[in-house]
Amino acid sequence: MSVTYNWALLAPVAVPALGAVLLLVIDLCLPRLGRLHWILAAIILLAGAAFAVPLALPGADSPRRTLCLPNKDCLYLVDHVGVGLQLAALVSAAVVALLAFPIKVPGERAPVLGALVLTAAAGASGVAAAGDLGSWLVMLEVATLPTVVLVALRARRAAIDGALSLLTVSLVSFAILAMGAAMWFAATGGGLLNGGGLLQAAKTPDSHRILVLAMMFIIAGLAFKLSLAPFHSWTPEAVGGASTPIGAYLVVTSKVAALAALLVMVRSMNVLGNPVLGVLGVLAAVSMTLGNVMALREQSTLRFLAWSTVAQAGWVVLPLATVSSTSLRSAAGYLVVYSLATLVAFAVVTAIAHADGRGAATRLRSFGGLLRRRPVLGAALGLALLVLAGLPPGVVGLVAKVLALSPVAGNRLWVLAVVAALNAMLGVAVYLRWLRIILGERQEPVARGRIHPVHTGLVLAGLAGLVVTSFAPQLLLSIVGG
Amino acid sequence: MVASLLIAPLVPILAGIALIAGDRASRVPGRHTTYAIALCAAVIGALATGYAVFARPVLNVQWVPAIGMRLHLSVDGISAPLLVLTAVLGFLVVLHGRHEQPGGGTPGTYFGCLLLVTGGALATFLAQDAISFFLAFELVLVPMWVLIHRFGDPHQPAERARAAAMFILYTVLGSTLMLVGILALVFASGTSDLVALGHGTHLSQGTQTAIAAVLLIGLAIKVPMWPLHSWLPRAHTVAPTAGSVLLAAVLLKMGTYGIVRLVVAPLPLGMARLAPVVGTLAVVGILWGGLVCLVERSLKRLIAWSSVAHMGFVMLGIASGTALGLQAALFGNIAHGVISALLFTVVGGLKQRWGGDDLHVVRDALRDVSPRLGFALVVGFAASLGLPGLAGFWGEVLAMFSAWGAADDQPGGWFKGLAAAAAVGTVLAAGYSLRVLRLVWVGGADKANHVHPAHAGEPLPAANSPATTVQRFADAHGPEWIVVGILVAAVVAIGVDPVPVLHTTDAAVARIFAGVTR
Repeated sequence: MSVTYNWALLAPVAVPALGAVLLLVIDLCLPRLGRLHWILAAIILLAGAAFAVPLALPGADSPRRTLCLPNKDCLYLVDHVGVGLQLAALVSAAVVALLAFPIKVPGERAPVLGALVLTAAAGASGVAAAGDLGSWLVMLEVATLPTVVLVALRARRAAIDGALSLLTVSLVSFAILAMGAAMWFAATGGGLLNGGGLLQAAKTPDSHRILVLAMMFIIAGLAFKLSLAPFHSWTPEAVGGASTPIGAYLVVTSKVAALAALLVMVRSMNVLGNPVLGVLGVLAAVSMTLGNVMALREQSTLRFLAWSTVAQAGWVVLPLATVSSTSLRSAAGYLVVYSLATLVAFAVVTAIAHADGRGAATRLRSFGGLLRRRPVLGAALGLALLVLAGLPPGVVGLVAKVLALSPVAGNRLWVLAVVAALNAMLGVAVYLRWLRIILGERQEPVARGRIHPVHTGLVLAGLAGLVVTSFAPQLLLSIVGG
Repeated sequence: MVASLLIAPLVPILAGIALIAGDRASRVPGRHTTYAIALCAAVIGALATGYAVFARPVLNVQWVPAIGMRLHLSVDGISAPLLVLTAVLGFLVVLHGRHEQPGGGTPGTYFGCLLLVTGGALATFLAQDAISFFLAFELVLVPMWVLIHRFGDPHQPAERARAAAMFILYTVLGSTLMLVGILALVFASGTSDLVALGHGTHLSQGTQTAIAAVLLIGLAIKVPMWPLHSWLPRAHTVAPTAGSVLLAAVLLKMGTYGIVRLVVAPLPLGMARLAPVVGTLAVVGILWGGLVCLVERSLKRLIAWSSVAHMGFVMLGIASGTALGLQAALFGNIAHGVISALLFTVVGGLKQRWGGDDLHVVRDALRDVSPRLGFALVVGFAASLGLPGLAGFWGEVLAMFSAWGAADDQPGGWFKGLAAAAAVGTVLAAGYSLRVLRLVWVGGADKANHVHPAHAGEPLPAANSPATTVQRFADAHGPEWIVVGILVAAVVAIGVDPVPVLHTTDAAVARIFAGVTR
């Protein structure tokens, strides 16, 4: 049996995966590098991302496929949306690595953490391109399981608790996904995600029913990973307990992986039509409502961001409630904008936590008057919140809201659209609450430290990114083929 | 010169951002520099707007293809009067800032927010693409929120926060519903070009009604139309004077403008189906607002309620479904913009001098204390009650007239009833206008049981020595008097000669109704 290989195409997955091994080997040879491993990890991730860039350019042909079997079925195929998500996963993981660099950890732990981030990023990048059920499932778990260790390695009580709930959820969701995958296998008689077997199965009533059930299981399993309500309960625990860069990893890179996995499935799911998509619509509505309502009362920064991610996950899957060619792009486009804004918010929180102590960053109140005390951090956080709320001057966030709403409104799903509109209002209330604190009375931290230059650089880059994309949203949206 | 279309909104917006950012720099620019920059930006914006209104250039380029958003800016008869109104008021509020610059924040933030609101409103009226219209519509929200939240009434911090939150939450809900409607409309008709949509679409009546209903609910919050108006009186009561002026004279107009652009022109069948409901709610608003004004104690809140009533007339004109009604609505928009700007400027000045705006506090006659403000108040309320020869008259009379002769596909009897009820609303307007003038302009100094607020609890001064009971405070001078003077002149000018405004909107309205019959 001969299989074709296109290494350039495989590089976004292969580079971080091999990089993880490389990092451990380097640690064996030069055991005293310590935190420099984070820099190495970031370089490897950006190198992997660089391989994805040519495919994400507007002119690139899509879908691109490799690992093709003699009968023309391919196990690895990426279209424009997939490449965009690979790029988002790798770049966001690189940002996480850089955010983590200044934070003190025991010397022997840094290479392990770096290797885990690389492994998870490789999984996230791989799942976007999976062409068969087996590699889809494996890649998804590769993307998820390292996060449990990443959370736990902070080695505080809260972190262990968070890791434990994350582990439980991961196991449950894996079980559900495996169940769904098994039923899929039974219905279609094969593992390919877009082969002829699927169409065949959708035509016969019996196997169609099994297929719908399989899809339900798969959606439920993915909903855990996307932290869609009612499968969200691990999110505040894990994000609140983890160190802040790992929190960013959980709510950005993991989310990219989960959405990539969902999009791969939705693409083949379109033949099944309504019942499946209706489920996604309900999940979206419940999730955004619950996330917003809970965030409205939350006092802790990290848990606030966790609830915000639950709400935003609802917005991400909102367009998938419709059958249309644009809905995949809309979901991916929304996710990319969300990722940028959330990373900026996490960068600011991490910078403050590192400079003034974690206590000065975990309570919303301690951000009082940030815009006066630290104008750059305050402006970046303020703009990120406005983007998440979808209010100008955060124009790119508004564009993302338009993107997410357009398939729903275009197909005149009025109920869903009205729920979304109400949630746009709730979301504004949520994010303006924090913004008011930033604009409000000064709250001096107990110990005021210096912001680490790497953090300053990242925040400045994020601020510049938000400003530039607010004038030209197309720059960001075009990476998913918008 | 196409550049004027970009200069008009962008110069105020960029200057506003620069002022706000400059405030955070290590060397904060001084008060005078800030004022000069803000004034320059407002003047440049106004001149560019004037040029664009005069020369009518068109700009149409691709912007965000992912959501089908184009950068399409131009001016037509419907937007031209509103653009002039916005540009002039944008300049006047900055000028007024010399006189009243509220505390609560730095001058840079204050003027920056005023410029951002002005620029955003200009962009809204210039946009000819439905999705960029929505974007510009949203642009004004955050600066307005800051104006109310930070620079509002310093005596009521809790109420300020609540009013600001209510303002932004209501309007965000409204504009998101509007977005849903816009997207449905764009998807169904296949274009987001407002010029193309202005010729009407060929959708079925059911589809048109559903989309029009969503759009109308969304925009009715902005107008605001009864029963979605409750954010307005709150926001006006605590907002700073300039904020109130922009809110009443510019932001509310964005709602009615949106209805004309997005509902009346593209969805004639849907609008015709919903017109009786819209007309009824408009008249309820007229009566409701008028009745509240008869008993309201807070002067600023009273003017806010009267705005609800006046916007009811505008909506009644739109609901009539006739070209005359639409003309009346567009004219009423401008008239209410000028009148409410005048009233809020005068009353804001009075509230600042009095230290409150409770009408039950007996005060000295304004005609004695401050003849200029007194005169302006009389002109403002006379226009508000619809006195012929002043701006308010034409819009309201024509609105009632058009409702009396509503379009053929409307229930004529019902609309005749609505016209009659609206006429009762004008009587209420006369009632509350005269009430305010009696309490404020005539004053209570000659009453036997006079208790001066400043002397309450102290022994009464001798009743026959008027010199001691008349509390002198500075009359309007300098920038405040210039602003008030210009607005008084505008109220009289539009009232005496309404033809130029009516003439400007004439052709555009005719085009909309040509699309309907086709």
